[in-house]
Amino acid sequence: MTTAPRFRAVQLLLYGGVGLWSAFVLMPIAWMVFAAFKTRREIFTDPLGMPQTWTFDSFERAWGVGLGQFMFNSIVVTTGAVFIIILVSGLAAYAIARSTSMWMKLLYLLIVAGFAVPNTAVIVPLYQMVTAANFSNSLFGIIWVYAAYGIPFTTILFFSFFLDFPRELEEAARLDGCRPWAVFFRVVMPLSGPAIASAAIFQAVFIWNEFLLALLLLTQPDRKTLPVGILQLQGEFTSDWPAVMAGLSIATMPIILIFLLLQRSFVRSLAGLGK
Amino acid sequence: MADLTLDAVEKYYGAYHAIKGVSLKVEPGEFIVMVGPSGCGKSTLLRAIAGLETISSGKMTIGERDMTHEPPWDRGVAMVFQNYALYPHMSVRDNMGFALKVARCPKAEIREAVENAAKTLRITEHLDKKPRALSGGQKQRVAIGRAITRAPDVFLFDEPLSNLDAALRSQMRVELGRLHKQLDATMVYVTHDQTEAMTMASRIVVLNEGKIEQVGTPLELYNHPESLFVAGFLGSPKMNFFDGKIVDVAGKALTVAVPGMPTPITLTLDDDVQAPAFDSTVRLGVRPEAVRVGGDIPASIALVESLGNQTLLYLDAGALNCVEAESSDGFITAQLPSQHRYTLGDTVQISWSPDMLYLFDTSGRRLCTPRLAVAK
Amino acid sequence: MKPTPILKPRQSVGVQIVQNQSVLVLPALLICTVFIFIPAFLTIFGSFYAFGLTSQNWEPVGFGNYVRAWNDDVFWIALRNNIIIVLGSIVLQVGIGTVLAAVLDRGISFGQTFFRVIIFMPMVISAVAVALIWLIILDPNIGILNAIVKSVGLSPPKLGWLGDPSISIWMVLVVAAWQYTGFMMVLILAGLQAIPNHLYEAAALDGARGFRAFWSITLPSLRNVLVVAILITTIGGFKVFDLIFVLTNGGPANATQVLGTYIYLQAFTLTNMGYANAVAVVLLAIAVFLGWLQLKVSRRS
Ligand SMILES: Nc1ncnc2c1ncn2[C@@H]1O[C@H](COP(=O)(O)OP(=O)(O)O)[C@@H](O)[C@H]1O
Ligand SMILES: [Mg+2]
Repeated sequence: MTTAPRFRAVQLLLYGGVGLWSAFVLMPIAWMVFAAFKTRREIFTDPLGMPQTWTFDSFERAWGVGLGQFMFNSIVVTTGAVFIIILVSGLAAYAIARSTSMWMKLLYLLIVAGFAVPNTAVIVPLYQMVTAANFSNSLFGIIWVYAAYGIPFTTILFFSFFLDFPRELEEAARLDGCRPWAVFFRVVMPLSGPAIASAAIFQAVFIWNEFLLALLLLTQPDRKTLPVGILQLQGEFTSDWPAVMAGLSIATMPIILIFLLLQRSFVRSLAGLGK
Repeated sequence: MADLTLDAVEKYYGAYHAIKGVSLKVEPGEFIVMVGPSGCGKSTLLRAIAGLETISSGKMTIGERDMTHEPPWDRGVAMVFQNYALYPHMSVRDNMGFALKVARCPKAEIREAVENAAKTLRITEHLDKKPRALSGGQKQRVAIGRAITRAPDVFLFDEPLSNLDAALRSQMRVELGRLHKQLDATMVYVTHDQTEAMTMASRIVVLNEGKIEQVGTPLELYNHPESLFVAGFLGSPKMNFFDGKIVDVAGKALTVAVPGMPTPITLTLDDDVQAPAFDSTVRLGVRPEAVRVGGDIPASIALVESLGNQTLLYLDAGALNCVEAESSDGFITAQLPSQHRYTLGDTVQISWSPDMLYLFDTSGRRLCTPRLAVAK
Repeated sequence: MKPTPILKPRQSVGVQIVQNQSVLVLPALLICTVFIFIPAFLTIFGSFYAFGLTSQNWEPVGFGNYVRAWNDDVFWIALRNNIIIVLGSIVLQVGIGTVLAAVLDRGISFGQTFFRVIIFMPMVISAVAVALIWLIILDPNIGILNAIVKSVGLSPPKLGWLGDPSISIWMVLVVAAWQYTGFMMVLILAGLQAIPNHLYEAAALDGARGFRAFWSITLPSLRNVLVVAILITTIGGFKVFDLIFVLTNGGPANATQVLGTYIYLQAFTLTNMGYANAVAVVLLAIAVFLGWLQLKVSRRS
């Protein structure tokens, strides 16, 4: 076999390339964790080396900023908004997908149009509206804003899912005695599990990480979400880099861990944007 | 068991007229097969009976009840779908018992009904599997079982066998026949396959472009088709048709000349129809099994299909051209019993058995049908 | 003659949950209207006025804000930077993403999941955290990039990686590529895995393998996915805010200013709300056009 050595060399090259990019991706994350364990001196004197002792001092200092509160706020906001998005988009998409009226098609196009509007472009009136309605610094308030920016895309996703959903199953259920709500909850919903999970993960990742609206609308320290909260680390710990890195580690490790556990669903969900 | 009547049922999809005034009375315990080419409105009609489509006008009753405006869940009908439509998230047992569960039947009763149905269909060992673990044939049994469990007034089937392979299909045909006898239930069965219609039906309803062409027992339709359409649709291989002209009318005796045939043919007019005018165009029908070797029409053999128990010949008879033939080149199809050895290109002489001929007028209505006595 | 139907001829009824199904669409419509459509309308409306953060009196200025943008160097710098980021990201993220996806799909025989997970990972981290980590990596005093560059005997830029106006925008591109290349890879990988294997088998019978097969089978089948990937990157490149806000806040000397950060700067730091709206309208127009393009492309595929 003359091709074998050449084949092996090509494989090696390809592994080298992929490995290089993986190392490039991993290094900053690894460095963040290691730096968190270093002392303030070590960071200056030996930026590339390993920490000498493994203490959690800097983690305690970082936690003191209120990371617990930020994380709690993020959880509240993300769960609330994702719940609303799934429910509201699901109902709308189902009604539209099962309707043949022109009006519903128009409503669908209108909702879809919302997908094209970036929040960056409308922050001025959005800020003024939310402030005027006394909803700034309200987690309840920002939940609805986040929901709004998640609904168009989720409605598109669900719409195409329901279009592909086998009609015969719904018809069989109706002949089996199900009233319309029962058809939806006993047959359609149980079979929408993967679609719901996919949409929920997608929105959760984006809302968990959303920064601009949170920056504008949540200014009170005990109302901040993680992305805005960790920005505070920088100001709070000038030159206490280990504390900043510890704070970042605390903020990012949970989501990375969840990702590692559910990586298949995450990847499938986010790749759905390409559809 | 209940009867089912349709009275002048119409269905429009927007401007498209899908069902054109269908009236039908199905007797209790009948096995009705609706047959017709695809797109003729079979599914639409069946779904209208189920209440899955609204009808534009007309009336429908099941038993004594007017069902025209009842929702599907109140009609007491069960339907078996072409692609099974089993709930993927439920076990076979739950699939079959779902309707009873929705109706809040006691658990023990559901269990018994499901297990009885499973025994009838021989799927007891699959009861706790999910549908995706079953083969196509097993899924179809479960779908039928789901209908049986509910003991509906009327069973509806929409091409239930078309996703199965040929062997399984003929096996299921027999089984559905057995099931019908055993349950003694009213069944409406839709198919585009005339074999299924001929083998299973108590009565066949031939549908064409949203209209009923003819209703009758399989042999009634085979022997006395009301129209060219029915004659062409039932029977496999398809009937041979030739265009000709009436050259003599003498009482009930019609003489037809067909270009390419050396001698005119005389047929007897059916009792209940008007004789056509002299020189009017007609269409002569000859079943493939009525084509005989030996006679005065020369034809060369274009194709031979040896099926073992029979031999099909496709014959090129020169000027004598088949219209509406299965092959577009106007070949005549002959179905000969048992085995024969023929070589392509050979010329044979053919003729028709005179008592197996059909005649239709230009609008496709029946003029003459064979005087066959059906053995009792 | 068409008989008069008793019921109005109507389409087959789907499962009607309630009498009037549009009721189910109302919540979605209401939420989107309040938080998307009204603000979008107000952005356009407000771009014709001059007003401050809290001021009640809106002074109509016609197209004044747009004229001002036309003559504003920083606006053009911001727009140019957006375009640089878009083009750079297409080259880096879509380019490298395609290569990585092709390698993971057919190039290597085991470890695909392992590499896919690692390379995709930055996508789930918030851009703020990413920016903060890189801020420190690129720090002129304590950053490891300086340490690495020094250790191989080169000298790092005097003003720092982010402090040097001629370098900083490229650093933004590197960080963005670090975060989003994995996303592009996964997107394209999904497209690659949808290519039926028999195409490759047929090509192999015709003697096309390796790069030949990539060129004649993979790329053409991938066209739609690549177009979508490029569009997503383009939209992302115009919407970018978090990363730059934290990394450089548009500096040094507007060298990394983009429309997003410039809108924020004008609105909330300089409190020129009307002018910020005019800049936002430009961004809105670009985004709506690109979004429309994306829906059109993805509907076709
Ligand atoms: N929902 C619908 N909207 C419009 N036309 C339809 C619809 N359903 C069926 N049709 C049309 O009605 C005709 C009959 O369809 P169908 O009953 O499904 O035919 P079959 O079951 O006999 O093949 C077809 O021409 C089909 O195109
Ligand atoms: Mg059909």
